[in-house]
Amino acid sequence: MSIVAYVSENREQILALVGQHLILFSVSIFFTVIIGLAVAIAASNEKRRDLGRIILTITAAAQAVPSIAVVALVFLIVGIGMRPAIIALFFYSLVPIVFNATSGLMSIDTKTIEAARGIGLTDRQILWNIKFPMASPVIMAGIRSAATINVGTATVAAVIGGGGLGDLIFIGLKLNKNYIILTGALLTALIAIIVDTFLAIMERRVTPKGLKLGR
Amino acid sequence: MADPSRIENHPRIGGAYRMIELKRVTKRFDKKLAVQDLSMTIEQGKITMLIGPSGCGKTTTLKMINRLIDATEGDITISGRSIYDLDAVQLRRSIGYVIQETGLFPHMDVFTNIAMVPRLIGWDERKIKNRVDELLHLVTLNGSYVHKYPLQLSGGERQRVGLARALAADPEILLMDEPFGAIDPINRSRLHDSFLSIQEKIEKTIVFVTHDINEAIKLGDKIAIMQNGNLVQYDNVNNILYEPENKFVEKLLGHDRNIKALVLKKNKDYIVTTGYVQVHKADKPEAVIRKMEEKGKRVAIVTDSDEKFLGLFALEKSRKDPQPHLSFIDNVVTVEKNNNLQETFSLMIDAGESSLPVVTEGNRFVGAINLEDIFNEFKKAQED
Repeated sequence: MSIVAYVSENREQILALVGQHLILFSVSIFFTVIIGLAVAIAASNEKRRDLGRIILTITAAAQAVPSIAVVALVFLIVGIGMRPAIIALFFYSLVPIVFNATSGLMSIDTKTIEAARGIGLTDRQILWNIKFPMASPVIMAGIRSAATINVGTATVAAVIGGGGLGDLIFIGLKLNKNYIILTGALLTALIAIIVDTFLAIMERRVTPKGLKLGR
Repeated sequence: MADPSRIENHPRIGGAYRMIELKRVTKRFDKKLAVQDLSMTIEQGKITMLIGPSGCGKTTTLKMINRLIDATEGDITISGRSIYDLDAVQLRRSIGYVIQETGLFPHMDVFTNIAMVPRLIGWDERKIKNRVDELLHLVTLNGSYVHKYPLQLSGGERQRVGLARALAADPEILLMDEPFGAIDPINRSRLHDSFLSIQEKIEKTIVFVTHDINEAIKLGDKIAIMQNGNLVQYDNVNNILYEPENKFVEKLLGHDRNIKALVLKKNKDYIVTTGYVQVHKADKPEAVIRKMEEKGKRVAIVTDSDEKFLGLFALEKSRKDPQPHLSFIDNVVTVEKNNNLQETFSLMIDAGESSLPVVTEGNRFVGAINLEDIFNEFKKAQED
């Protein structure tokens, strides 16, 4: 049986899995971005340079943790289903966002920040008017890599009953049917490419014009 | 410029108003003493230079004035009011602050950079736009700069924008922390000249940190010399140059302080209008040569009928190569009437000339400066 024939025969079922996959992805990435940026803001405060360095070290190391380990750990604590899957994805994609956003916010020239403070910007104005726009390319790159990792890792969530396109891959493995595995894999890749392309465009759009000139 | 209501409680000192007063200010970072029991009065409308080796406390002192750093002990007053009675953010918005070129926000265009403080204090956009235009004009940048970004500007242009940003809300006080530090020497000298001519118009109270003694002498009305957190000498530039307090100040000034002192003298006070031959482009070569031989001069200054300086006519060259028209060398070193004597002196040394033509706006010839007169200046300094 070909992939095309398989997909057209099982259209509704596959669409439902794509839908589940998108829910896994979008819900987890939504919370990851919000919590991740909040952690990064707290960690990058120049009055707490040590905290920032600790967070950077932890997140750099955490990038090496395999996705299946995170999924397994969450399974042990929270159990099975879509909710644990989302929690696992949340933690797993938190790492690149926190790492990039923290290092981006911390890398801004202290002279620039001092100039901002010296002409009378408050800490909050420095964060939103200076640090965030200047770090936006690095922050967006973190969100982008978190999102593509998230879409891929969401297939692993099927192991703990999270649903999504991972189901197709595992069914294919059990039945030893390559076209089912390929369908799951290709659709996942397709979503990842679409998400990545969209975020690449966003990345370019949020980068302030004045920063692009130097490259 | 000064608003009398703001300075009513200022005691006058020798014709100048006290703008900023540091009263027994001490700053300790943990155990390290950065500034020790410092008292000084900064006069209104003057440029006060803080100078000393790195770690002497000059930058700490500057940053205490806008409360980027809070003093450990002592008090600082502006127009008689303690800065510790004011909100730090409001205080900073009322004081201009210029640092090295990195101080501009790279993600904002020139307009947005300059408009920053006026927007923070709630000016309406029309007023801001007019102010930005006015400031760009003041710092001699044209209107096309408003939409440029800092990375598109040269170092000197960035510094001009930085100055415009500091002046945006028309503060009484400007704090400048080595603003020209990252600029190459040629452009720095040009920026110094335009900075001084801007200050002539705006008459702000400026506190300026530098580690360059030449800059301090050239720009300062008064110089405060610091060492290990202490004020070693605080006086006007002349007194610093000719009456250094101790060996440390002498060393800081260098062996060539007489040459450095030339920066305070203006070319226009040393121009002579005799002792050279001036001819017009249209003059006949034979007549010119005759005139030069009469006066015993090898070279003549060639101008057009509007007194515009064109070049030099050299006698030897013309004898070898007789021509029906007056030919002259046009790549001649000249000096500007409003420049200082130190530059003229070093140009003379470089060019190996004992006399240089002086021009003013539009390259108009106004006379000559002789090395001899500069030397007399040195002699006078010795006698004093």
